[in-house]
Amino acid sequence: MNIMELKNVVYAYENKKKVLKGINLSVEEGKMYAILGPSGCGKTTLLSLMGGLDSPTNGQILYDGQDIEKMGLSAHRKNNIAFIFQSYNLIDYLTPKENVALTSKLPPLPILERVGLTDEESKRNVLKLSGGQQQRVAIARALASDAKVILADEPTGNLDEDTAADVTAILKECAHQMNKCVVIVTHSNELAKQADVIFRLRKGDLQIAAN
Amino acid sequence: MNLGIRAILYTVRKWKKTLLIFCLLLSITTLTLSGLAIADAQEEQAEEVRGTTGASFTVERNLSTGGWSNGSDGTYSTQEFISEDMIKEIASVDGIAGYDASFILMPFFYDETGKALPATIYSFFTYGTLNSEYSELFLSGRFELVEGSHITDEMTNGIIISRELAEDNGLKIGDMITGVCYPENNTPEVEMELVGIFDVVADKDDQVNMYDASSYFDYSDYTFCSMGAMDKMVEGWGDDEIEEAYFYVSDAAQLDNVIEEVKKISSINWNNFNITANDEVYQNISSSLSDTGTLITTLIIVITVVSMVLIILILSMSVRSRKREMGILLAVGIAKPSVILQYVLETALIAVVAFPLAYLSSRQVAGTLGTLFGKAAENVVVTSQHFALVAVVGSILLIIAVIVSCIPALRFKPKQILSQME
Repeated sequence: MNIMELKNVVYAYENKKKVLKGINLSVEEGKMYAILGPSGCGKTTLLSLMGGLDSPTNGQILYDGQDIEKMGLSAHRKNNIAFIFQSYNLIDYLTPKENVALTSKLPPLPILERVGLTDEESKRNVLKLSGGQQQRVAIARALASDAKVILADEPTGNLDEDTAADVTAILKECAHQMNKCVVIVTHSNELAKQADVIFRLRKGDLQIAAN
Repeated sequence: MNLGIRAILYTVRKWKKTLLIFCLLLSITTLTLSGLAIADAQEEQAEEVRGTTGASFTVERNLSTGGWSNGSDGTYSTQEFISEDMIKEIASVDGIAGYDASFILMPFFYDETGKALPATIYSFFTYGTLNSEYSELFLSGRFELVEGSHITDEMTNGIIISRELAEDNGLKIGDMITGVCYPENNTPEVEMELVGIFDVVADKDDQVNMYDASSYFDYSDYTFCSMGAMDKMVEGWGDDEIEEAYFYVSDAAQLDNVIEEVKKISSINWNNFNITANDEVYQNISSSLSDTGTLITTLIIVITVVSMVLIILILSMSVRSRKREMGILLAVGIAKPSVILQYVLETALIAVVAFPLAYLSSRQVAGTLGTLFGKAAENVVVTSQHFALVAVVGSILLIIAVIVSCIPALRFKPKQILSQME
C-alpha cells in the first residue's frame, strides 16, 4: 500500500524557474527507493517537499491518503517523517544519546547500539565523533522517531567507502526488516544499486530507471 | 526531550555565551537599579527642598483701583482693607501651610507695677500679628523663639518680646504687660500676657544680610502682639487695618496652583487686591535640581537603551549562529513557538541568576555612583520596589529582544534555513 503519494507536484524558485515540472510518485512501506540525478536537478527539493520542509508551488502531497498541507507541515515532520542529511545535522550541544532522544520517548541507547555506537561514544560530544559515527547518530535519531518514512539526502556523501557500505546496510535493514519506507536522494550509482526502486530526475521530470 | 531540558543543557554546555550574556545583564541591571536609586534620591532631595525652602504669596491692596482722598494727614487711599475673615478664607485653601498678616504701631509698655519699660529710641516697634511664626523676621532666621510660644490667631492678648528686654526688666513667661498706643490721646490700655521670648540672632554688623536698618529701631525693641490686642490699643482712634497678608504653601512647587485656587474665591473682589508670588529661592534651587534630575533621567534612559540595543545585538548574533540548530529542530518536527520558547527560557535562566545578583551588587555600588551626582551615599538606596520594577520591565524587554532576534531566521521555511547553512 502507498504510504506517500505525489500528484503533479510543481516547484518553482522565486525567479519562476521551474525545478520540478509535475512530479508523480508513489512510495510504499518496506521498500528502499533511490532518486538519482545530477547536482542541481532538484533532488533535495523533492525530498524537502516530501518531508514538509517546504511547500510545492502546485500539486498535492499525500501521506496515508491525507494532504500534508492540511495536516500541518510541522505535525507531518514530527509524526510521519524522519530525515537523514548528508551533513548529519546534529545538535552540537547535545550528546548522541540526547540527539536521539530529541523527538523520541524510546530509550536511545539500544537504538544507538543497533547502529554500531558504544555506550561510551553515546555520551561524547557529537562534534568529537567521526563523520561515520555522526551519520550513525543521525540514522539512530531517524529510527527513534518511529516515523514510517525515512528521507535520506546523500547519506553517504561525506563518508569513506567502508563506512558508506555500513550506513547503506543499515538503511536497507530499516526498509526490509523494520518495514520503513526509505527514500534516498543520491548521485552515487553504488548506493542507488542497493535500492529496490531507482528513479532518475532529469530536467524536472521523474522517471523510473530500474525496478 | 522537552524544551526545558534543551534550554538547561544549552545554558550549561555553551557556558562561554552564557557567561557573556550573564555579565552583560548583571552590569546593565546593576547600573539601571543604581540609576533608579539615584533618581529617587534626587526626587527626595527636590521634595525636601520644596518643603524647606518654602514659598509664599502676598495679598495686598490694589491701590491703583481704589481711589484717593485727602485728610488732615495728607492723601490716603480709599481702597478696601484686608479683613480677617478674608484671610481665614484664603488660608483654608488646600496647600497653604500658614499665614501672617500684621500692621505696625509704636506703643508704650508698662510692667505689672506700672513701671514703663524703657525703649532704646522712643517706644517699641510692634507688629499686631495673626501668626508670628510666619513673620518674615522669624522665617528669615533673624529672630528665634527661645521661650514660650508664638502668637496665633486664636490668641486675643498675647505678646512676644526680646530676651534682652525681658532680662533688663525682669520679665518672664506668664507676666502681664500693659500696652498703650497714644497716651496723649487717651487710647485704651490693653493688658497682654507675655507668651514668648525671642533671641535676636541678627548681627547689626552684618547689615547686608541680617540687619534691617529701615526702621531705625533696635531689634531688641521689636515686639509682636495679638491682632486683637492691637485692635483694642487703637480702638476709637485711627483706621489702622491690614494692608497686606502673607500666605505660605507647604510645597513650593505647587505655589502657582494654590494661587489659582485662591483667585477662584468668589466672595473676594479681586479687583481690589493684588497677589504676588514669592518663590525666588525655590525657583533658583529647583532650576539647578531640575538640571541634575534631567541629567540623571537622561543617563538612565541612555544606559537602558544602549544596553538593550547591545543585548539585542548579542542575542541576534547568538541566534544567527544558531540558525542551523533552528533548521534542525524544525526539520525534526519541533514547532517554531517551541524553539522560540526554548531561547526565551535560556535567557530567563540567566536572568534569574543575574537579576538578584544585580540587586545585591547595586546596593553596594549605588551609593558610590550617587556621590558622582552630589548625593550622599546613605541617601541612595536600592529598594525592593526598584528591583521588582527592573525585574518585570527587564524580563519583558528580554522576551521582546529574543523574539525580535528570532524573527529573521524563523520567517524562513526549514528547507531555506538548512540550504543557507549548507
